[in-house]
Amino acid sequence: MEFVSPEGLRLDGRRPMEMRQIRAEIGAVTKADGSAVFEMGNTKVIAAVYGPREVQNRSQQINDQALVRCEYSMANFSTGDRMRKPKGDRRSTEISLVIRQTMEACILTHLMPRSQIDIFVQVLQADGGTRSACINAATLALADAGIPMRDLVTSCSSGYLNSTPLLDLNYVEDSAGGPDVTVGFLPKLDKVTLLQMDSKLPIDIFENVMQLAIEGCKAIANYIREIMLENTKQLEYRRGI
Amino acid sequence: MVGLSLGEKHFIQGGIAQDIRSDGRKRLTYRPINVETGVIPQANGSARIRMGATDVISTVKAELGKPISLQPDKGKVSIYVDCSPTAAPMFEGRGGEELSTELSVALQRSLLGGKSGAGAGIDLSSLVVVEGKICWDLYIDCLVVCSDGNLLDALGAAIKAALSNTGIPRVQVAAGASGDEQPEVDISDEEFLQFDTSDIPVIVTLTKVGRHYIVDATTEEESQMSSAISISVNRKGHICGLTKRGGAGLDPSIVLDMISVAKHVSEQLMNKLDSEIAAAEAGEDES
Repeated sequence: MEFVSPEGLRLDGRRPMEMRQIRAEIGAVTKADGSAVFEMGNTKVIAAVYGPREVQNRSQQINDQALVRCEYSMANFSTGDRMRKPKGDRRSTEISLVIRQTMEACILTHLMPRSQIDIFVQVLQADGGTRSACINAATLALADAGIPMRDLVTSCSSGYLNSTPLLDLNYVEDSAGGPDVTVGFLPKLDKVTLLQMDSKLPIDIFENVMQLAIEGCKAIANYIREIMLENTKQLEYRRGI
Repeated sequence: MVGLSLGEKHFIQGGIAQDIRSDGRKRLTYRPINVETGVIPQANGSARIRMGATDVISTVKAELGKPISLQPDKGKVSIYVDCSPTAAPMFEGRGGEELSTELSVALQRSLLGGKSGAGAGIDLSSLVVVEGKICWDLYIDCLVVCSDGNLLDALGAAIKAALSNTGIPRVQVAAGASGDEQPEVDISDEEFLQFDTSDIPVIVTLTKVGRHYIVDATTEEESQMSSAISISVNRKGHICGLTKRGGAGLDPSIVLDMISVAKHVSEQLMNKLDSEIAAAEAGEDES
């Protein structure tokens, strides 16, 4: 199947190095301590953060740092065909773990000993790249909750189809069987915190593909910063400063 | 669940007794309702309803199926509710399952009628394509994104809004299939049939706190309730379903009184909801 036309356009009309339209909104869940909606094209996720608060299960308490927990869930209507999933299947458990580890790496957990931070991500629409969208949403929600972080971790995926590196795969491109590289990146510190790839790829090409994903992460980080600045200005305005 | 001090409890109860609640509302006033339609593009219809901090999404997906043999002239509708952990940390893992089931069953009771399918708020016979062979199965999936009390009313309103947003593809049935054969069908990509939602009831929950009852209770107010009655009323003023929750018993005369109050409130709610849905649909067409 042809994923990149001779004119250099992808199935949804993007150029190979073009990202889908991204949109973010802070404060979607009123009752949570911090929350955000993040959209990448047709992928849409909500993240809510509760905490830092008292540890609910005493046996999990850590004496010198905060306990970070994460749960990823998909709505029944999020996929094209309606699914009736059992809660906590292997895929969502794995994604929960990935998000937790990525977020834990950037939260300054040692500042909040004996407390707990819960991150809940809910997928409303899935069109490829839910992992990345969830991490971006979680970052915004953590920032909204005012949780101290090293940096704003962002995530983006890239792939390699028809001998072309492609940025930010959608569902059709993702299920084409080519490699799918998901990168989590700390833009200020210039460090990669998450790296996953399936399928195989020559090393020299992998370098390009990963670099492309990192560029995507940087672009998202800029956007997230803009959104946060805008949100803070709004808060400032409401307080009448 | 809700940590309230004795003083706060007295404040809520006293406010309700004096007909001015913590947020300034009267006992029978709803919070402002915000309706958004078409929020989930891959569903046949969807809506998001916000009442104060309560935030729910409802979607409708239509699939072709076979009617059950006892009711060859009726389609099938199933309602599922899912409580997202984003709404409250206690819904994490399997924590939300109990509430989800309670809400799903209450909604089915209020909107779908009895086992025979008679008296349903949703007109099931309009879902039949070929009698006894093909019908539409409607899957209504609801998601609770944020919860601040009165979930059942919000979910009922969201389903009503989602159904009025629903377009069911027109189906062409190939002639010539006879007997037991399953006829071939052709689903149109362009022509959609709108659903008649004028008969779908609204749900009004009256929560009894002390000697009085209130509509649209917040989580704090719900924690003070002795019992609650959810009544679904359609436009004609007929009662389509009823659920009583809460531990305390109710005097039968109070139940009848609550029903008549709910009927009165439902008219206002129905009109308000209709105008909000129409405004949301108009806004969607423009954008």
